[in-house]
Amino acid sequence: MSAMLLGLPLVSFVTFLPLAGAIFLVFLRGGSVRAVRTTALAVSVLTFVLSLVLLFAYDGASGLPELVERSSWLGGGIDYHVGVDGISLFLVLLAAFLTPLALLSSWRAVDDRVKEFSFFMLLLETGVIGVFVSMNLFLFYVFWEAMLIPMYFLIGIWGGRRRIYATTKFVLFTMFGSLLMLAAIFVLQAAYFRGAGSYSLTIADLAAVPVSPALQTWLFLAFGLAFAIKIPLFPLHTWLPDAHVEAPTAGSVLLAAILLKMGAYGFLRLGLPLFPAAAASFAPALSILAVIGVIYGGLMALVQKDMKSLVAYSSVSHMGLIMLAVFSLNFEATEGAIYQMLNHGLSTGALFLCVGILYERTHTRLIADYGGAAARMPVFAGLFLVAMLSSAGLPGLNGFVGELLCFFGVFAANKTLAVLSISTVVLSAAYLLWLYRRVMHGPLKDPADLRLRDLDGRELACLVPLVVLMLFMGLFPGTFLRKMDSSVARYIESLRSGAPVVTALDRPGGPGVEAAALAEPER
Amino acid sequence: MGFPPPIPPSVLALAPLLALVAGALLALLLEAFLKRKDGELPAFVAVLALLASAFFTVVSWNVGTSGAYLHGRLLVDNLALWVTGVLVLAGIAVILMSLKYAARQDMNLGQLCGLLLMAVAGAMIMASSSDGLVVFLGLEVLSVASYALSGLKRQDRASSEAAAKYFLMGSFAGAFFVFGLALVFGTSGSLDLISGLSPAASASAFPAAGAVGFGLILTALFFKIAVAPFHMWAPDVYEGAPTPVTVFLTVVPKAAGLAVLFRVLLPLLRDGTAAAVFLPALSAAAVLTMFAGNLAALRQKSVKRMLSYSSIAHAGYLLVAVVAGNAPSLVFYLLVYLFMNGGAFAVLIAMSGRGFEHTSLDDFAGLGRRHPWLAASLSVFLLSLAGFPPTAGFLAKFYVFGAAVREGHVVLAVAAVLASLIAVAYYLKVIVVMYMHDAAAEAAFDRDNPALFLVIFLGLLGVLQLGVWPGNVLNLIRGAFSAF
Repeated sequence: MSAMLLGLPLVSFVTFLPLAGAIFLVFLRGGSVRAVRTTALAVSVLTFVLSLVLLFAYDGASGLPELVERSSWLGGGIDYHVGVDGISLFLVLLAAFLTPLALLSSWRAVDDRVKEFSFFMLLLETGVIGVFVSMNLFLFYVFWEAMLIPMYFLIGIWGGRRRIYATTKFVLFTMFGSLLMLAAIFVLQAAYFRGAGSYSLTIADLAAVPVSPALQTWLFLAFGLAFAIKIPLFPLHTWLPDAHVEAPTAGSVLLAAILLKMGAYGFLRLGLPLFPAAAASFAPALSILAVIGVIYGGLMALVQKDMKSLVAYSSVSHMGLIMLAVFSLNFEATEGAIYQMLNHGLSTGALFLCVGILYERTHTRLIADYGGAAARMPVFAGLFLVAMLSSAGLPGLNGFVGELLCFFGVFAANKTLAVLSISTVVLSAAYLLWLYRRVMHGPLKDPADLRLRDLDGRELACLVPLVVLMLFMGLFPGTFLRKMDSSVARYIESLRSGAPVVTALDRPGGPGVEAAALAEPER
Repeated sequence: MGFPPPIPPSVLALAPLLALVAGALLALLLEAFLKRKDGELPAFVAVLALLASAFFTVVSWNVGTSGAYLHGRLLVDNLALWVTGVLVLAGIAVILMSLKYAARQDMNLGQLCGLLLMAVAGAMIMASSSDGLVVFLGLEVLSVASYALSGLKRQDRASSEAAAKYFLMGSFAGAFFVFGLALVFGTSGSLDLISGLSPAASASAFPAAGAVGFGLILTALFFKIAVAPFHMWAPDVYEGAPTPVTVFLTVVPKAAGLAVLFRVLLPLLRDGTAAAVFLPALSAAAVLTMFAGNLAALRQKSVKRMLSYSSIAHAGYLLVAVVAGNAPSLVFYLLVYLFMNGGAFAVLIAMSGRGFEHTSLDDFAGLGRRHPWLAASLSVFLLSLAGFPPTAGFLAKFYVFGAAVREGHVVLAVAAVLASLIAVAYYLKVIVVMYMHDAAAEAAFDRDNPALFLVIFLGLLGVLQLGVWPGNVLNLIRGAFSAF
């Protein structure tokens, strides 16, 4: 398979096809809204098909990046250098999978400036996929920043009442972090030059020659801040509820499902491998922040009156668990974190779609305005339930596998934090099921209100693929984990060899980490 | 060598300058003797003169005329040639922008062209000399022409006020320069700024007088570049001047002043004791300029005034390249700055009509719906000014700030980066108004202006090409400055 594709720059195709589609849209006559929508959808579906080819072309036995393309670009260590490995592959797929669904979901919800909307959606897709496939730090930063522009417009033009406040806050928060990261990139570049005698911003090169521990601390703080804002880690999360509540449904879906993952991915790809010593010494503090996020997000979700902000706070909580797993620095936790990133993308994406479907019918997101919707919308009720249970981690669905792996790894690293973080299971079951009971069950709020009709074909096409994938990922996790195994093992090994020995003993769960490291990945 | 015919290097070195002066005189003569005062003939002459100047610059580059001419008074080196290139491009852009604008705002196009060519010639002289008197000559030619240019909209009080202010403040700056030069000459016995300011010279009998002279010369140059705290005149002048002239004022004097500054300071950078004194001062000025420009821009209600303050902030970023002593990033930033700043002002000009200009933020409300292409162009220019990838503005900042960090100025780079964050807020404010507010009323718009649209298109091309695929330009610049 891969031999057949050897000549084709597959990764570049997947990355830039949406961009090409977006440029094509500009020159399409704006009058025909239907043609614009169909073109955008077709481009994103084609991108997804190509990304599936990527999945089959990726072998994953060595754990090294595959399908690598590299050509010189600006000189001075800045190359066009892309590829995928077990950590990034599925995130690319997630982005390619969700964009068509998000476009489909806004078929009717967005009827103003459809051309611009589709343009920015496709631009966003190129941006996020680019972040995941970049193997050069400069390229990574370019995509990381460029992706802000389409999201800024998506929230600012098609958002809710306080959209301008929300989108400005989103951009300024993110920019603050990423500009400090830019300064750190300069320092890193100069430090690498002093060490190696030549310029390179290739991520693998930079990881191979770690900078001095004192410098690592500063650089890790700068990179970490950018990623922590994006995730968002407590207490940097305040932009998230605003952005989510004000964003249009499609924007919320992509924001929650993909953009938040970029922060966690940043830690996995850059924060930890480039600065292993600093990462190990900051891991306990960051783990505690992550646990606070888990509990705080869960408690905040319990008291929300707006469905969208409830899902937004549930994201804070779930991302907290993912970060806790990332900072546990062992194999199970890391693989669990990646799997849970995919799960969170699917389940939160589905939940935002469900909220969007309800909102399109009644134009309110307040939980108190609903009741007994299941009677009018039985099919929707079923799909909503599956999405919810996936988010709550019910066995048999994808969320369970991810959470279990995370808990295994976290437990090996630190028992106290593990016990505290398990509260997420209770909390998420509580706020989600309570939400479900209030919205879907009970007597109909207003029996005369006939707006609550069941799903039509388009909405089914949005939700059914997500639900099917949730079941599949819950029942056959090995299909996915197998492709990640060697990359994650390689990643853990690189962290261990790069970090000084003392740090593992300093940490609260020191011996546990060692035990987990000895346990070979099985499956 | 068949083409170009062998021209003596000394003639070739002067040719770009001579072409401009000849063009300027011809344009002024045509203006005086032509019957039709609203014709565009002077503009054609001026563009031809600028193109000729550009041609000679390129030939000079290819032939390799590097060296000192006219008894060492005129230096032709790669820095001078590159800055000359930027100046000539700026001149062409300004003339193309003013073709229709001049007629609609009752400005005399012939005078504008003549004065503009003289000003560019003055800037060119500044950029290609290290001799104090020659630099002063260039400075005065540039300044006197600039004063007149700012006041060309004679019916407009703001324009006259701008000219008066600029003249008054500029005269002081010129006096500072001469006085400083006298002190430097008195202590070192040399009119050449590089040798006059060298540590050996300042160790003479009157080191204090030499230092004061150096300070005064720096002050005058800071004034020209509009570096804080000598920038107070700039917003009023930039806002009051006719918009194409504003483009000129925000690019040409800055480029010329920075070239002089860079040329004079570079030898001192290599010297430990001198650098220990003036590098902190220069860094402080850079930080002050970035923050003063950006913080003031945040509060503006007029887009023209906001862009004026933004141009002050960009002088601060450019100063970072001087502190880093890095010529390639300085030149690249200047080139990119010309495209993005000129492009943004060009869109502003497109928002004008006979006798009026829409510069208030409210006039831009709903522009994204009414004129999608214009709004999209302005958005690209603003995003580039804000430093978003994949536009050229990002790459320019990347190289400048990266050079500063490589030279060990990490704190300066972090300050610059934080200043850029403030800038994002006000650039985005314009985009918010264009796309996310509804139009209050249909603001008039200048559709029939092909020259202006050519400028906007070339600006877009420059901003995107230099951002995504700048390979050739970067290679040229890298090749040019390996000596630095």
